[in-house]
Amino acid sequence: MNVLEVRGLRIDAPQGVIVDGLDLTLGEGETIGIVGESGSGKSLTARALVGLLPSGLHASGSVTFRGRELLGARERAWREVRGTEIALLLQDPFTMLNPLMRVGRQIDETAPARGQAAARLAEVGIREAHVADRYPFQLSGGMRQRVGLASALASDPTVLVADEPSTALDVTTQREILRLIRSTQEARGMSVVLITHDLRVAFAVCDRVYVLYAGQLLEVGSARELEHHPTHPYTHALLAAEPLLEHRLERLPAIPGAVPRAEAVRGHCAFAGRCRFTAAACRSERPQLRAVGEGRATACLRYEEIKGSLVPTARESSVRIEERAPADLLLRVDGVSKSFGGARPALDGVSLAVGRGEKVGLVGESGSGKTTLARCLLGLETPSAGRIELEGLDVSDYAALSTEERRRARHTVQIVFQDPYSTLNPARNVGFTIGEAIRRARLRGGSAPTVAELLELVGLPAAYSVRRPSALSGGERQRVAIARALALQPSLLVCDEPVSALDVSVQAQILNLLLDLNEQIGLACLFITHDLAVVRQVSERVYVMHEGRIVEAGPTGDVLAAPREEYTRTLIESVPQSDPAWLAPANT
Amino acid sequence: MTAVAWARVHARDSGLTPLVVASLVIVALAAVAAIFGPWLAPHPAGAQDLLLGVSGPSHDHWLGTDDLGRDVFSRTVVGARTAIVGPLLVALGSMLLGNLLGLIGGYRGGFTDTAVSRYADLVYALPALLVAIVVVGVVGGGYYVAVGLLIVLYSPVDTRIVRSATLVQRAQPYVEAARTGDVPQHRIIFWHIWPNVLPLAVANAFLTFAFSIVSLASLSFLGLGVGPGAADWGRMLSDSRTLLFDNEWTALGPGLALVATAASMNVVGDWLFERLTERGVRR
Amino acid sequence: MTFGASRTAFVLRRLVGLAVVVVLVSFLVFSLLYVAPGSPEQLLLGNSKTIDPETVRAVREQYHLNGPFLERYLHWAANAAHLDFGKSIRTSEPVAHGIWQRLSLTSQLAGLAFLVTLLLGIPLGVLAAVRRTKLVDRGVVFFSVVGLSAPAFASGVLLLYVFAVRLPWFPAFGQGAGFLDRLKHLVLPAAALALTATGLVVKITRAAFVTELEKDYVTFARARGIPPSRVLFRFVLRNAATPIVTAAGLILAYMLAGSVLVEVTFALPGIGALLVDSVTSQDIPMVQGLAMLIAALVVVANLVVDLVYPLIDPRIVFGKSAR
Repeated sequence: MNVLEVRGLRIDAPQGVIVDGLDLTLGEGETIGIVGESGSGKSLTARALVGLLPSGLHASGSVTFRGRELLGARERAWREVRGTEIALLLQDPFTMLNPLMRVGRQIDETAPARGQAAARLAEVGIREAHVADRYPFQLSGGMRQRVGLASALASDPTVLVADEPSTALDVTTQREILRLIRSTQEARGMSVVLITHDLRVAFAVCDRVYVLYAGQLLEVGSARELEHHPTHPYTHALLAAEPLLEHRLERLPAIPGAVPRAEAVRGHCAFAGRCRFTAAACRSERPQLRAVGEGRATACLRYEEIKGSLVPTARESSVRIEERAPADLLLRVDGVSKSFGGARPALDGVSLAVGRGEKVGLVGESGSGKTTLARCLLGLETPSAGRIELEGLDVSDYAALSTEERRRARHTVQIVFQDPYSTLNPARNVGFTIGEAIRRARLRGGSAPTVAELLELVGLPAAYSVRRPSALSGGERQRVAIARALALQPSLLVCDEPVSALDVSVQAQILNLLLDLNEQIGLACLFITHDLAVVRQVSERVYVMHEGRIVEAGPTGDVLAAPREEYTRTLIESVPQSDPAWLAPANT
Repeated sequence: MTAVAWARVHARDSGLTPLVVASLVIVALAAVAAIFGPWLAPHPAGAQDLLLGVSGPSHDHWLGTDDLGRDVFSRTVVGARTAIVGPLLVALGSMLLGNLLGLIGGYRGGFTDTAVSRYADLVYALPALLVAIVVVGVVGGGYYVAVGLLIVLYSPVDTRIVRSATLVQRAQPYVEAARTGDVPQHRIIFWHIWPNVLPLAVANAFLTFAFSIVSLASLSFLGLGVGPGAADWGRMLSDSRTLLFDNEWTALGPGLALVATAASMNVVGDWLFERLTERGVRR
Repeated sequence: MTFGASRTAFVLRRLVGLAVVVVLVSFLVFSLLYVAPGSPEQLLLGNSKTIDPETVRAVREQYHLNGPFLERYLHWAANAAHLDFGKSIRTSEPVAHGIWQRLSLTSQLAGLAFLVTLLLGIPLGVLAAVRRTKLVDRGVVFFSVVGLSAPAFASGVLLLYVFAVRLPWFPAFGQGAGFLDRLKHLVLPAAALALTATGLVVKITRAAFVTELEKDYVTFARARGIPPSRVLFRFVLRNAATPIVTAAGLILAYMLAGSVLVEVTFALPGIGALLVDSVTSQDIPMVQGLAMLIAALVVVANLVVDLVYPLIDPRIVFGKSAR
């Protein structure tokens, strides 16, 4: 008998439907993954599986645990199951734990006997005795997530529902947590439902994968098969749009448009608006999920017709790495250090260079200092030591520059920030935001493009200038941010994790845009990211940062293929791979 | 500018409970009474009828008369003016002062911020009504001195709210983008940050309004503030204590009007606050 | 820094801040004498008609009115520190004595009101947050808003009307003699005082609990099968406590102001009534004494609240607020 069976799960909210009919099964000891982008309804599904939807939301359908119907049952029935049979692990380690209770006590709350906290912490890899006496705010994100896992497992559940357990963590910590989940699963014989937006993680960790898009289940299958033979255009396009660690493509095949809200696409195929293969039938009714093989199902009406085209395109490297003549230097960073008074400096003697028209990557995890460096380049922070030169002009201290010098600096380098949802003033429309940047550019008697020209440059219609950010999708907002940065016609664009907060299906659009801008107007790029596959795609040279220092540098292909430093190697190995050895416990 | 805020306020799930609707109606009525009171009242507020004296509700005097034969209903209606004008000035004044201090302190940080915060903490610690009693009582000056004093005494609340909101906005990328775009500081504060902070400040202004209705009425109850004989709810309540046995409406009229108006302002302010903070859900 | 050391440093910082407040307030209070209409000598003599130079000189000597401002202030402050504010102009008794006599009545009144407020307000607030049924939630919200908006004198007069005039259950005026009689006399005034304070406490408690109940750690706790009552008391209560403790501090400040209104309404000879009488009769020394008393009470209330904070939330000590 299946441990968990879900039939026709529907989640409704006052604004409309969120999940429109989800079926899934979970067998003993199995790991299934629910993969979806934002708005797919995956997190709410996780909550529905333990009967803890936020107030105002309503679930209907059927959820049975070992044959016992839970959905629609009384609260008491749910309470018997929560924690002891089905456990939920939340996404954000920073808000998941009670901030005012010591960690050990929190675990003891649900353990069958007292005094087990130490043992349970050891199970999740925390061996130091004092941790149990700490408050959550005294621990790092990775440790908090481990504590969360220990708490969730304290009642020895049969099923673990893990909602994006590694998303808020660094890529190296991510691997540890996923390894931990795998090892505890094997030791206890648990079944796991893993919710994630990252296909790579799903393929690495799960046996079977369910693909959710805007509330509709589009495809089901084993991880292996889904990875190599997707049966739905969405899965296929998503796989194609993901940058690869191994190769670089001239352009990523991007999926046009943005992820819709579930309510907006009821009544027809959720992906129809963005799909290459859309036909009239796709728009007139919602396709049902149907079996197309052993354990495989698809919701694509046209599968049989198009399956030939769904073979993953040959992803060979199609870009030759050109030999670049030494370019004239736009940016020179020499021995820059910055300290905020903590245990160690944020930046410790960093040196790098970017030439005209170059695409340079800066890779690091959180705490590496990459954002601090970006801020120093733009005068949002001032380095404690070292030198920053922009086209020969010393901008180590922006406050000390004359007005003319600062103007020059601003026309040389601009920045694009990570979070598209706060990068634009919510109270102002697009025209104002870009227009003001243009006004600043013209102030010193310079020339500047018009709002319409800039919008066109980033691929947005001129009519968007009257829109407010709330009417734009994440990808569109990021384009506006790029347009704003370009108003001053800089030679170098610093991009601080510009796609990390975007849906995967949209990331490719922005990456392509940056590559296009580099080609068309010779815009040099310092691309800061933690994602090695992205850095492979957009950069020709790369610097690797760790704890405030540059630990390795060189042409991207060389560094990724043959890393010299331990840390770089660890980073590369932390990228999720479908090989089961990736999750095997570390040998220490 | 605040169109975004207003759009959120009018969205479908607007939280318009019957209580909120009733409060909006009462606020409107109070405003009408404050502006048009003298013309709407059936009797002139000061008209005495010493022969009649105190009397209960009748056809001619809907809420009866007080000991000088004055019509309670008319005085209640006219009393809306002093009950509203002063608090309006306090709310606006406190908002302006608080916004200015909060924006500048919050944005500039450092010494300016410390100075603003210490000042706000100090004034906040003082019990406003008591200070008002002492100052107005000792120094004299009446209604408008009280208004000015309350503006200063209530401004820390606005200052704190605006300062917090400014700190939050200041850390946002769009402000940093403006800085890297060389937008001058004053423009960033007033043209970029303030539009995002203003809705919150306006919501708080309603609450300040409600508090000042109560404070000013308290002052006039104690004999400070408005002059004797004025048609003012606080005054009327003070005078009514000896008339309770004869005509309870001398107390109930202004009393209920006072509570209703202040409560409605509170409800509207809370409703705006909730709409503006919770509904800021994106994606 | 260890936990204990951080905590001590925190408390010391607060103490210094409050001391500054007291000094500043004392300065302002001292200058009342010079801000009030009329010359200081006139005020101190009670505006009696004949003010011959002899009397003036005597007054100046007695109150140290000669000499620079700062010197005068220091004299006054030194006396004030010994609780010597001079004599009341109105009653000619020493200020401290006059205050002391009336203090017990006001403390009883405020104490009773404070107790009622907390015992009624907090449970109601929690109830409204937990039982989000329309009836309960809206009913409690309505009650709290009305209470909050009704100034103590308005509710006082209304209560007077209902319970002392219509149904004469309680006496309308005076303070009564003996424990039970005193209690009877204080019920209505305390109720009037408590009404507004309860409204505030209910509002803040409800808001604090609603905020906490929506947080992730509550969902996680429930997901682990912890029973709802335990989630509420063991998890949420402490997290919601900070704004409630702040409210308690505000309540105390409110009680001071409210007692003025209530004592006047119910003709209770307490501190509040004394303040009003002193202010209207320009009895400056008494006003100064009362003002410093109030300042001291506010400072103590703030201090107690500040001492309680770190006990609830260890993060405050380290200057962190979240995460």
